[in-house]
This record gives sequence, structure tokens and C-alpha cells, in this order.
Amino acid sequence: MSAATSTVERERDELRADPVLIRPGTYAEVTDELLRAVLRPPRWMRPALIVTFLGTLYLFAAIAYTVTTGIGVWGNNIPIAWAFGITNFVWWIGIGHAGTFISAFLLLLEQKWRTSINRFAEAMTLFAVIQAGLFPLLHLGRPWFFYWLIPYPNTMAVWPQFRSALAWDVAAVFTYFTVSLLFWYLGLVPDLAAMRDRAPERWRRRLYAIFALGWHGSARAWQRWRIAYGLLGGIATPLVVSVHSIVSSDFAISQLPGWHSLVFPPYFVAGAIYSGFAMVVTLMVPARRLYRLEHVITPRHLDAMGKMMLVTGWIVTYSYAIEIWTAWFSGEPYEMYTYLKMRPAGPYAFVFWTVIVCNCITPQFLWSRRIRRSPVALWIAALFIQIGMWAERLMLIVTSLAQDFLPSSWGLYWPTFVDWSLLIGTIFFFLFLFLLFLRFVPFIPIAEIKELKHDLEEEEHAHG
Amino acid sequence: MADVLIAELESPEGAVATARRVRELGYQRVEAYTPFPIADLDVALDIPRSKIPWLALVGGLTGCGLALLIQWWTNAWDYPLNVGGRPLGSYPAWVPIIFETTVLLSSFTAFAACLLASRLPRLVHPVFDLPGFERTSIDRFWIVIGDAFAADEDVRAEELATLRRELSRLGANVIQARLGEEVER
Repeated sequence: MSAATSTVERERDELRADPVLIRPGTYAEVTDELLRAVLRPPRWMRPALIVTFLGTLYLFAAIAYTVTTGIGVWGNNIPIAWAFGITNFVWWIGIGHAGTFISAFLLLLEQKWRTSINRFAEAMTLFAVIQAGLFPLLHLGRPWFFYWLIPYPNTMAVWPQFRSALAWDVAAVFTYFTVSLLFWYLGLVPDLAAMRDRAPERWRRRLYAIFALGWHGSARAWQRWRIAYGLLGGIATPLVVSVHSIVSSDFAISQLPGWHSLVFPPYFVAGAIYSGFAMVVTLMVPARRLYRLEHVITPRHLDAMGKMMLVTGWIVTYSYAIEIWTAWFSGEPYEMYTYLKMRPAGPYAFVFWTVIVCNCITPQFLWSRRIRRSPVALWIAALFIQIGMWAERLMLIVTSLAQDFLPSSWGLYWPTFVDWSLLIGTIFFFLFLFLLFLRFVPFIPIAEIKELKHDLEEEEHAHG
Repeated sequence: MADVLIAELESPEGAVATARRVRELGYQRVEAYTPFPIADLDVALDIPRSKIPWLALVGGLTGCGLALLIQWWTNAWDYPLNVGGRPLGSYPAWVPIIFETTVLLSSFTAFAACLLASRLPRLVHPVFDLPGFERTSIDRFWIVIGDAFAADEDVRAEELATLRRELSRLGANVIQARLGEEVER
């Protein structure tokens, strides 16, 4: 039959024309190729690690300065008590969303293209959540009292106030990090076992043996692994949606014009996935080139990521439009002032227009199949989107706080040197952790790629 | 110490066919070791479906109840705080944490159950000493027959011959080994 009629056949034809794996070798060849990146790290790895490590030291210097002096060294003040700190928190945690989205959501939807990039994206999630977690801690001012957020019996005989969205945040971020870690590690165990069995040096076999937990790959163990992995995927899917919804509640349950909005949870989740996919592309495109993985991460992956960014970009754009329309339709003077005057024409107008250009106009280029499939073009688009998503959070926080109800309590915010240092420092820390991951962990899931190869061959065989 | 017979195969299809045949010949203690999950092996080896989903459900319900209880006890009972006349039992405001704790405990249960049911972590397992086992995480598929030598003495040789013949017919490389014995490395 030449014209595909059923969905299954159409999918098969698509896979054939646009494969998710290009000419995989034997199982041993696939394993060795994917392990080689770790066993024989490329030459650029050491200098890259050194540079990002120095950046990480810079971050910790900035943290030490903040903690020892007090957060007065940041530009925050009343009325703008939240600025870079919360912007960075929301931005980083948003980036973290793509990892679990790719792993869990696409696992449930049985999207074959997810396999090559899922571990990559999950690791990115973990490291992004670590960066995100730093900011609320530092923003506490006295971070050594962070455990007051946890309900534990204490001599003060007080408890956290669970009607506050800030207490929800603690639960959401902590749960998200833990579940992402478990999901990532469970997927990793069989590959660590392959590493244990294949590494040439004794110390390396020993080291990976410990982290592989003695995995032996019996049929019974695999069955449990499959079930638990699918289960974690199923549980993590609503979790992804919940985390940024809760983060958005920090804003939405307040009464401030520009924050007090019902559209926030879906709008934040879409924005989070948008920036997360952009971050996956930002890291994946160079890694794919440097490690010569063009046949495992194929143009089909780039294409799918580009489409995801286009879709989520449109959801975000639509949310902006709805917000502005709601503000106007409400007839409420403060809302109207924030949305129609302060943001597009106020002192932070350049932030607003950066957001519009980066988040609403950039993704339109992704309509073009050629751009979606060009690594360089897609990478540039992803960078713009990341800048745009960061600016969006800044705009949201700063413009609403700067000019709310009473003009007598208006004020402006400008970041200090320490603010910038912390932002740039976390980018270095993130990259440092990510490079460590590329250096020591099989970053393409080997067992799953072999399973995919087997599935594809079986399909091929069944249909001739 | 136990003598076992190992059928080593190079393809997942071969492993499934072999496992099925070995079970048909009446062997009970059969285990497969493979580099990636093969769903068909569960059927071929009659492996019952794992109870992990039920455990995860119990974990989730525990988390749900615990979160509700903690929030109610701390905020409505032990330290009631009147915030603008809002009800002390603000159940809708507790939903996010109830949800998060449900997710946390159910995933933790699923993770722990998956490992513990497979008796992991256990860094040293007797099968690791079998010659060539390290390739089962790369590209070899093993069917290990634990009761190949368990038959009565008068029929053992005959049964073993049948088994070996069948395994060879299916393309397996047959290895005889002894479990639980220190092997020269």
C-alpha cells in the first residue's frame, strides 16, 4: 500500500522518512559509542570545567558577601522587595520544567523521539532547580533559619502558616526536586551498570558499581523497573503542571494590579515549558555537535523541539493578550494603569518591549521548517527566548510593585553589582554542574536507545 | 553452590523463544538477564505483574492523609490564628501541599519498592561471578536455568541432553557454570 491510511501506518512512514535514530550499529556498538563520551572525554572538557568552576567560585563569593553583609547589598527595597531574586527563582525553576515534561509527559504519550534527549533534559531540570532554590533562601535574609519553613515541633510553639502561598512553594519545589532526582536516577541505574561492566579501569568499575546499586538486569528486575519508571512518569506529569501553578500563586493570590489574575497558572506553566525547551536546545545543539551525536539526536528532534517552542510561544503570547484585554475590560483604573500605561510606556518600557520581541516575535520564525531544522538558527532563537522569558518575569515583578495604588508609595528599582553577579554566577554554576554530568554520566540513555532500536527493527520487520 | 545451565543468545527474539521453550520443558527456576527491558519475557517466563502500583497508591494516600492532618493540626487546632476572619479550616488553601505530599510519598514508595523488591542495593550478587556475565548489560541475552541439574539421577543425563539439544537448536551458546563459587579473575 503506498498511501498510508491508518494512524499506525502513517506514523511508520513518518518514522522511516524522518528517523529518530540514523543507522544504529549492533547493540555493542551503540553501547560503546554512547559510553565513549564518558570513558574518553573530549579535550575541551578540562578547560570548560575550569572556567565554569571559577564562575561558580564567583557565585559563592557573591553569596558570601550577601549573607555576611545583608541583602541590603541587593537593589531591592520597599516598594520593590522582590526583584532579581524572585525573577531568577521563577526563571530557573521554569527552565527546570522542560526536563520532566520531556521525560514524563512524552513518555506517557509514547513519543519515540524523546528517548535520545530525556536524560539530558532531566539533568538540566535538577541543576536548574538547584539554582532556583538558592534565591528564595538568600532572599530570606537570614538563610540559616530556612528550616523555620518546615513544620517541626519547636520551643517557640509556632507553626508555618499554610494559608500562605510561600509555604506552598517550599513543598512544591522540594517535592519537584526530589521526584525529578528519583526519576532521573532510576532511569540511570541500568546505564551505570553498563558502565560498570564496560569501563577499562578498575577504579572506575568500582565507582560505577556503587552507583549502579548492583543492578543485574534480570527479567523480574526489568519488569519492576519498567513499571516504576512509567509510574514515576505518570506521577511527575501533574507535578510539573502543579509546580509552576503554585509559583504563580505567589503572585496571583495577592491583590496587586498586574499580579491578581486567574490566568496566571496556565500562563506560567506554558512559559516555563517554553523557556525550558529553549534551554534544552541551548545545551543540546552544542553537545550534539561536539560529541558528534548527529545520528542519535537527529533533525527530527530539532524539529520537534522547534514545534514545541512555537506552540508554547503562542500560548504565552495569547496569555499576554488576554491579560491586557482583561485589564481593559475590567475598567479597574489600577489594573488598566499597570497594563496599558506602566508596562508599555513606563520607566521599564524597554523590558516590556524586549519581552514582546523575544517571546512573541522570535517564535514566529519557527514556522519555517528550514529554521527548525537548522541547529544554528534554532540555537539563536532559543537564546532570544531565554532572554525574553527572564525579562518577562522581571517585568511582571518590577512594574507591578513599582507603581501600584498610592503614588506616594511608588518607587523604582535598579539592580546592583551583586544582583548581576548572582545571576551570572548561577549561570556558571549551572553550566559547571552540567559539564560534570556530561563528564561522568552516560548522558544518552543507553538501555532505552537499545530498546528503541529493537522496537524500530521489530516494526520494520513486521511490516517489511 | 548450585550448578546452572546458561543459554547465551545474541538477540532478544532468540531469548524470548528460548525462555518459552525452557518453560515448556518444565523447568521452574528460570531467570533471564538482558541489557534492556523485553516485555515478551514476562509472558514467556510467567512472571506475575508487580504490585508496585498498589504500593504507590498506598504511599500516595498516606501522603495525602498526612498532609491534611499536619496542616489541620498546626493551623486550625494547635495554633489557631485569625487572619482577617478567614476560617481556621481553610481546606482549599491546603490543597497544594496535600497534592505535593501525595506525589512525594507515592513516588518515593514506587522508587523504593522497585529497588527493594529486586533486593537492591546489593553490590555483590552470585550471578556476577558467572563467566561473561558482564556482557548481559551490553549485548548478550542470558537464560539461566537453575534447576537443570535438579532431576532424579536416573533421568538427569537424558533430560540434560534434551535440554542442551533444544538450546542449541534455538541458536544458544550453552554454558555450564556453578553459582556461589569464587571464580579466578
